[in-house]
Amino acid sequence: MTIDRKQAAPARGGLTRRGFLKGAGALAATGWVAGSAGGWVLRPKWSHAAGPIKMGIATDITGAIAPSGNANWQIAQLAVQQINDGGGILGRPIELYLEDTASDPGVAVGNVRRLIQQNDVDVVLGGITSAMREAIKNPIVRRGRTLYIYPQLYEGQECTADLYCTGPTPAQQCDELIPWLIGQGHKRFAFPSANYLWPQLLNKYARKVIEDNGGEVVFEEYYPLDQIEYSATVAKINNENVDCVFKTVIPPGTQAFLKQLHESGFSERGGHVSCVYFDDNSVNYVPAREMEGLSSCLDYFKAIDDPFSNELQAAYDAMFPDTRFLFTAGSAATGMYRGVKFYEEAVKATGGDLDRDAVSAALDTAEIAQGPGGGAKMIPGTGHCAMNMYIAVSRAGEYEVISKYDMVDPAECT
Amino acid sequence: MELDAIAKLVFDILAFSSIMVLVVLGLAVIASMMGIFNLGHGEFVLLGAYTVFVFRELGLPEWSGMLAAPFLVAIVGLFVEATVIRRLYVAPVIAMLATYAVGLIIRETVRGLIGGQFYSIDEPIQGFIQIGDVSLSAWRSVIIVVTIAVMAGCYLFLTRTSFGLQIRGALENPMLARASGVSTARLYAFTFAFGAALAGLAGALMVPLFSLSADLGLRFLVQAFLAVMLGGVGTFEGPVLGGALIGAMVPGFQWLRELPLLNALIQPIVAEVLVFVVALIIVKFRPQGFVSKGRI
Repeated sequence: MTIDRKQAAPARGGLTRRGFLKGAGALAATGWVAGSAGGWVLRPKWSHAAGPIKMGIATDITGAIAPSGNANWQIAQLAVQQINDGGGILGRPIELYLEDTASDPGVAVGNVRRLIQQNDVDVVLGGITSAMREAIKNPIVRRGRTLYIYPQLYEGQECTADLYCTGPTPAQQCDELIPWLIGQGHKRFAFPSANYLWPQLLNKYARKVIEDNGGEVVFEEYYPLDQIEYSATVAKINNENVDCVFKTVIPPGTQAFLKQLHESGFSERGGHVSCVYFDDNSVNYVPAREMEGLSSCLDYFKAIDDPFSNELQAAYDAMFPDTRFLFTAGSAATGMYRGVKFYEEAVKATGGDLDRDAVSAALDTAEIAQGPGGGAKMIPGTGHCAMNMYIAVSRAGEYEVISKYDMVDPAECT
Repeated sequence: MELDAIAKLVFDILAFSSIMVLVVLGLAVIASMMGIFNLGHGEFVLLGAYTVFVFRELGLPEWSGMLAAPFLVAIVGLFVEATVIRRLYVAPVIAMLATYAVGLIIRETVRGLIGGQFYSIDEPIQGFIQIGDVSLSAWRSVIIVVTIAVMAGCYLFLTRTSFGLQIRGALENPMLARASGVSTARLYAFTFAFGAALAGLAGALMVPLFSLSADLGLRFLVQAFLAVMLGGVGTFEGPVLGGALIGAMVPGFQWLRELPLLNALIQPIVAEVLVFVVALIIVKFRPQGFVSKGRI
């Protein structure tokens, strides 16, 4: 897929968009060239009479969410390369378009419009935060009349037509995890949370599951996103004899919170921490000893030992050696892979017809046999997919898989 | 509240106040001496933290990075003063904007260098100090001790040395100081570097508590400004007091929520805002700050 350097050089020279400067070297090195209308395009090595299938990736290459965004475009690149190397979709190669959503919904809308209006892509995958999804879904789905695939674990309740979610929902993250936590003897929960939509809706769901299983929520509190002082919260956790902290505090608060909780001796007293977005990348920003024993529930961990997952992880590591952007579930990278493969299956099902309604109808019932952590299956009429979920616990910074749950129902939009 | 809970509360407040005082001190030194609010101060804090990270990546122990950080950041401060600030003494507002630009450049460069990620940095001294039933974080204790030492050192330096006398003189009346043969240009360069060094030290010491990210310093900037305003520009004790008060209010208001009546009233979000409300009310009634000019 790497295109000729001679071709890449003049395109690079013409780059003017500052936002891409940082990633430009890496992009060009792996064959991306600046598109004529802005953004980047990755052309396949070969062509087909009917032209390529145009796939748009709109993700956060720069800004606060950049580490996740970069993991997303890297895995998209790998997935597309594998499809193209295998002969494309029914003989047609995929041409990848990349737009930076810059972790800023305001910037994103304009860039995403370019994907649709100027590059005329057949499908858009991307967006990581819910704020981003909300900002770009209308330009894509309504005004753009284009399919949209959203890859990140999220708070649920996204039931827009022609929008497909390939990341875990609250039901998938809580339905198995919380009974397991309660089974471990944890009955008194605390919900320290960042003050935005995802923690609020996730907590609402988690509270219900906890109460249905005989546990109780001692307190549920929302902090400013950048709060870094948690002594009062930690004291309350200890004073109220909370034995399970189900936390949705996000960086930069999460590091300070876990440190203060650790220093208070919470785990020595048998307390447990659970956080459903923690994955193999977390050890980079939280010292291993401060999250020792922390449990998470996601669709993929590095420790999952099935042949396909191992192969995929190895291919990613080979394509991006020394990358800082890991292939993990918490960054939406697994959802992105699944999204590309779901689209492939849907186009195969329509016999190569790229019409939005036809592909959407096929996507609604699509199934992929293999993926990170296992296959996945769209639940017809819901835009969400069932997938395998895993409970894993941090041991010296690495996540050890405790149990696997087959094809957990997303329970959304029913 | 039981005794050990109160001890813990006092410790938490002291620890956060110490961090705040360290950040504020550097900002106040520059503001008092040069009349410039250094909007890039947060990024000097970030550079201090980043130094520790770089040392660790080079395989050196964290404490060596913490020792080196004030000196390296002071050199950056000297460079910024010589290339940018020196040219703008006549226009303090423009100088302020220039420091903002410098801060932006530093912040975005560091963001690029660390790939926008968060990195955890270990404390050189881990674990707890056990006093009776209360276990206190060892590293926070170190920060408290270092802050007190730095404050005492600064105070002695300003009041007991001839260089300190020159600084005080230049602060009081720059024209007269120059006429008396004191090189104010050299003093200003030194002051700026000294302020930067304090920021670097603050960043290096606090980074194990919060992890490294490009926005680390930004988080403290606004509160540090408020602290300097509260304390009063042009004095040594004022900003220290202001910093301590702001630093105490941040965890303090969260703790107030432990009281039965206030629990429902003060949400964590509100507590954060209350810090600003209280500070602004104080500034309204005491615009000159806690300590008025010319005391040191």
